[in-house]
Amino acid sequence: MLNMKNISRIYRSDTIQTHALRDFNLEVKEGEFVAVTGPSGSGKSTFLNVAGLLDSFDEGSYELDGVNIQGLNDDELSRLRNEKIGFIFQNYNLIPDFNLFDNIDMPLRYRGFNAAERKRRITHALEQVGLASRADYLPSQLSGGQQQRVAIARALAGEPKILLADEPTGNLDSLMARQVMELLHTLNEAGSTIIMVTHDPEQARAVGRNVQVIDGQITDHSVYAPVHDNASIVVKG
Amino acid sequence: MEMFNYYLKLSYRNLIRNRLFFILMITTLAVGVGVFLANIAIIKSMSADPIPNKSDKIFNVSLNIWTGNNPRAELIEIMRYDDAMHILKNDIATHTMVHYQSQVYTRDIESKSLTRHQAVVRATTPGFFPLTEAPFAYGSAWQQDHAKQIVIGDSLNQQVFGGGNSVGKVLEIDGKPFEIVGVLKPWELKPLFYHVAYGQKFKATDDIYAPIETAMDNEWAINVRNSSTDRINSVSDNRGKNGYFIQAFVQLENQQQKNAMQEYIDNYSQHRQEQGEYLRDNDNRLLDVKQWLEHKEVVDERMLAFALASSLFLAVCIFNASSLLLARYHSARFETGLRRAVGARIKDVFYQGVVESMLIGLCCAVLTLIFGWLFLQISITLFPALQQTSDIDLTLILLGIGIALVTSFISMLYPLIRSCRTPLSTTLK
Repeated sequence: MLNMKNISRIYRSDTIQTHALRDFNLEVKEGEFVAVTGPSGSGKSTFLNVAGLLDSFDEGSYELDGVNIQGLNDDELSRLRNEKIGFIFQNYNLIPDFNLFDNIDMPLRYRGFNAAERKRRITHALEQVGLASRADYLPSQLSGGQQQRVAIARALAGEPKILLADEPTGNLDSLMARQVMELLHTLNEAGSTIIMVTHDPEQARAVGRNVQVIDGQITDHSVYAPVHDNASIVVKG
Repeated sequence: MEMFNYYLKLSYRNLIRNRLFFILMITTLAVGVGVFLANIAIIKSMSADPIPNKSDKIFNVSLNIWTGNNPRAELIEIMRYDDAMHILKNDIATHTMVHYQSQVYTRDIESKSLTRHQAVVRATTPGFFPLTEAPFAYGSAWQQDHAKQIVIGDSLNQQVFGGGNSVGKVLEIDGKPFEIVGVLKPWELKPLFYHVAYGQKFKATDDIYAPIETAMDNEWAINVRNSSTDRINSVSDNRGKNGYFIQAFVQLENQQQKNAMQEYIDNYSQHRQEQGEYLRDNDNRLLDVKQWLEHKEVVDERMLAFALASSLFLAVCIFNASSLLLARYHSARFETGLRRAVGARIKDVFYQGVVESMLIGLCCAVLTLIFGWLFLQISITLFPALQQTSDIDLTLILLGIGIALVTSFISMLYPLIRSCRTPLSTTLK
């Protein structure tokens, strides 16, 4: 699904070069749930940005769902982002004066779906996150956890090959964080490939695979037995 | 089309969401475009071709004959009665007209009221009408040089007779009766090319058209220049004397005709020199309507200077609007980044910006027309001489809309490019 080989990302200023990623190698298979951990400034977010085609890389090769990223132009990269990737941000990144329907509608518009198809996908995505009855709510009328579920619904509506989550529970209290995590586990069990950057070691242990990044390089691959209890969490709208 | 509608909806939301900002920005642009438009309206009217279908065929005739010896002086653009008659009576031109302007008091001779109306008279020749394409509503021009017959304009016809067919009615001019043989339709010539001197260039067409001989016979006043020792006792006494007061225009269809006319007036002035008169260094001159208006500087240099100033003002307004938009795009870069992250191409973001600029441009166009009209009224109030030169016609309305759209786009271009170039990874967390 995702295959990075010897990826380097260097940020340059007039006097300083910073290696945000160096010789970064990672392969993620379809259906995996990977947690990326590491201290602040270790390169986790850079990795996620490169993986999500939000940032370029200086060296190495990167294949996403069999497509070699190198040399693609903006149109091609945008289409890949739209069709293959779903983003879940720490700050939800919902447009405040769009209702939930219109927020989820946004990526589908750029895909060129007709109105009926968009509506079907939006309704289904909202059902998946338990917010089907609130399609015309504004984000400000929802709790933080609910807003993050809307962001997940937006990511899901395009039926992407991979979900990239950047500290998806970073702004949530523990109960809401559990709900969101449970939702991600449910999606993974349903077949979604997920890469999640997190600071939380418990969350990292709760997923199948943990990748630790330090100084722009992977220092540890750990595989854990999942510890989450799917039955104990009930997702409510 | 679906995406266009989507962008339109997004733009409308943006405008509503940031209404104060956009009111400020649109007003800034509209003031700049409005001032520019008002200025263009004046200059356009000043520089219009008054008779576009044959402006290259009508020529002002200026002779280099003068009674005093002053060879380096400019050509005098008026001529003596005898010169005018020589121009008139050759058969080279398709149409020839000579004229002078006078003012009279007039009333309907049948009217019980003794109120008299001041009227502008064009003392001319029958060739005036086909040459200027003056449109007749009723009747035609007079047939005899000394006939006590006149043609009146629509305005005077409305004023004195209440409109309608007044052919056959009698108008009292300075106490004498004159038969109306023709009535013109409403008629405008801007600029009034046949009489651009003495602040007349943007005046309305005349009230009365009378035979030049009749006008002189009846002593209708003239402004005359004379540097000779001739004693001129009356208007009619100008015949055979050195009073300069008549302008001449001819219609020449081709270069051959023009060459013939040039040769004719050159021979004529040579003949006058042999008679003891002086010639100026400049050659006898035939200027077509556009050359004539340019020569007479119909478009005032001060207006051109003001046009430059208003263009610069418009540029300042565009820069201001652009700065405001730059700030707005900076604050909205999260949304742009988000759209790009979920699949919008750079060109999608750009198209959306273009649609937004169109919407802004349309709002700006409405305000521009209001401001343009307002500035024109202010200009007319401050400078009444502009009264006749300040029309906002359909062409200018379309131009105003066009400029508003273009300036909106220009204002948005740089902020939009900046917005499209913002690295995605820096805008989203």
